[in-house]
Amino acid sequence: MSKGDVIISVDKIVKRWGSFTALNEVSVSFKEGEVVCIIGPSGSGKSTLLRTINRLEEHDAGRIVVDGIELDNDMKHIDAVRAEVGMVFQSFNLFTHMTVLDNITLAPQRVRKWKRERAEKTARELLERVGLAAHAHKYPSQLSGGQQQRVAIARALAMQPKVMLFDEPTSALDPEMVNEVLLVMRDLAKSGMTMLVVTHEMGFAREVADRVIFFDGGRIVEEGDPAQFFSRPTHPRAQAFLSQIKHAG
Amino acid sequence: MISRLKDRDSLVLVGSVLGLGVLLWLMSAPLAMLPAPVGPAAEQFSAGALMTIQLTLVSGIAGLVLGVLAALGKLSHLPPLRWLADFYVWVIRGTPLLLQILFVYFALPEISPKLQLNEFWTAVIALSMNVGAYNAEAIRAGINAVPTGQVEAARSLGLSKFYTFLDVTLPQAVRISLPPLASNLIALLKDSSLAYAIGVVELSMVSSRVQAASFQPFPVFLTVAAVYLALTTTFTQFAGALERKLAVGKR
Ligand SMILES: Nc1ncnc2c1ncn2[C@@H]1O[C@H](COP(=O)(O)OP(=O)(O)O)[C@@H](O)[C@H]1O
Ligand SMILES: [Mg+2]
Repeated sequence: MSKGDVIISVDKIVKRWGSFTALNEVSVSFKEGEVVCIIGPSGSGKSTLLRTINRLEEHDAGRIVVDGIELDNDMKHIDAVRAEVGMVFQSFNLFTHMTVLDNITLAPQRVRKWKRERAEKTARELLERVGLAAHAHKYPSQLSGGQQQRVAIARALAMQPKVMLFDEPTSALDPEMVNEVLLVMRDLAKSGMTMLVVTHEMGFAREVADRVIFFDGGRIVEEGDPAQFFSRPTHPRAQAFLSQIKHAG
Repeated sequence: MISRLKDRDSLVLVGSVLGLGVLLWLMSAPLAMLPAPVGPAAEQFSAGALMTIQLTLVSGIAGLVLGVLAALGKLSHLPPLRWLADFYVWVIRGTPLLLQILFVYFALPEISPKLQLNEFWTAVIALSMNVGAYNAEAIRAGINAVPTGQVEAARSLGLSKFYTFLDVTLPQAVRISLPPLASNLIALLKDSSLAYAIGVVELSMVSSRVQAASFQPFPVFLTVAAVYLALTTTFTQFAGALERKLAVGKR
């Protein structure tokens, strides 16, 4: 697969909870190396889209194909997709009973069947990359939120994923820690990683994203180049949302 | 590792295991120095204590496995497994342990003669079934207390359900469940005395035999109570130290 090829294709997916429709025939595709920011009001289905892409939620209709593998009920397909797709959560979700190093080395050893030394070597390189080389033997509770989120990013990268999903990675952080996480994400984007980022950090989206997707009511209502989207949004909901954010910020 | 063993909790852990061993192997010596009726029966007391510990440890371990299985059953998405686990816990917790022991001993062989076990294994089966039902509740609560976000993180890394449970859920659930599991184990140690009903020569059986032969209940029962207290105290110390040791990393 070369840069620019479609790596994730989402075709008319529907996700319902009871009579509530969280995703309403959403179709979108993502290309290798692309950084896409997903924005929109709370409850509009942004997290649900990310979560269906690695099957933390099962879609009720439509098709999702990741790196040529269709997400269906075949557990092998699901595991294969999950191994290629890393996810970073708003609440970090580090394994609290494990050291930073063990958090990062667990999946490569269990899933990729790497030897401990190899997994540790990779983990230490990644910790270096996210600026936490000195913290390998600490437990998550001994780290700040920003540090925990950087560990979570390193943990996901340790699986050498082809795609990284970020679900509001800085929303749970104190303001002074937001930048250290965004910095790591910027570096990652520069390195060519395919990234889907749900975020309220408009500065980041404007600067780093190749494309912005705006969600409202379980649908994508606007999609485009960030410069154009932020200066001249066309959909009234997007206009209202952006002006609200500006006033709040 | 060496430096780790220096902290107080590790000392208590190692100390209580050694203490239990020493207690069991050397108990008869100090007891033998006591006047009749205890002194002459020292060997019997120590053999009884050994049997009590064997019953407790073997049933305790089997009960832990049963507890994990029943807890998983209770949390299963498959209704039949849930019903089975609920039924098991309901029956065991709703009937007396003595009845359960007698049932395994007398009633099971009626179903099939192959189910006729010796007294020790009969007691082990009944005791582990019993403690397993109580453990199930404790473990289920522990599993529920592990944040779902961590399970999702593990799954999103590609870990199978099995490894997610083994590496992420279980270690944290055990830590959370440890205090109730420890009190279940201590209850088990005391409840193992009911095995005397089917003729297992454990500590309580010994005391009643020695008492019956000597007609001196006071010193006999006092001795046995002291031995039970020594055993339960060792267990409590061990559990407390283990709990503090495992608390590492927990905020
Ligand atoms: N497990 C669930 N059960 C029921 N409703 C849910 C569940 N998860 C999300 N929802 C609903 O789906 C909608 C979309 O949620 P979400 O994708 O998390 O929104 P966003 O990330 O854009 O804020 C919300 O209205 C939310 O309440
Ligand atoms: Mg969300």
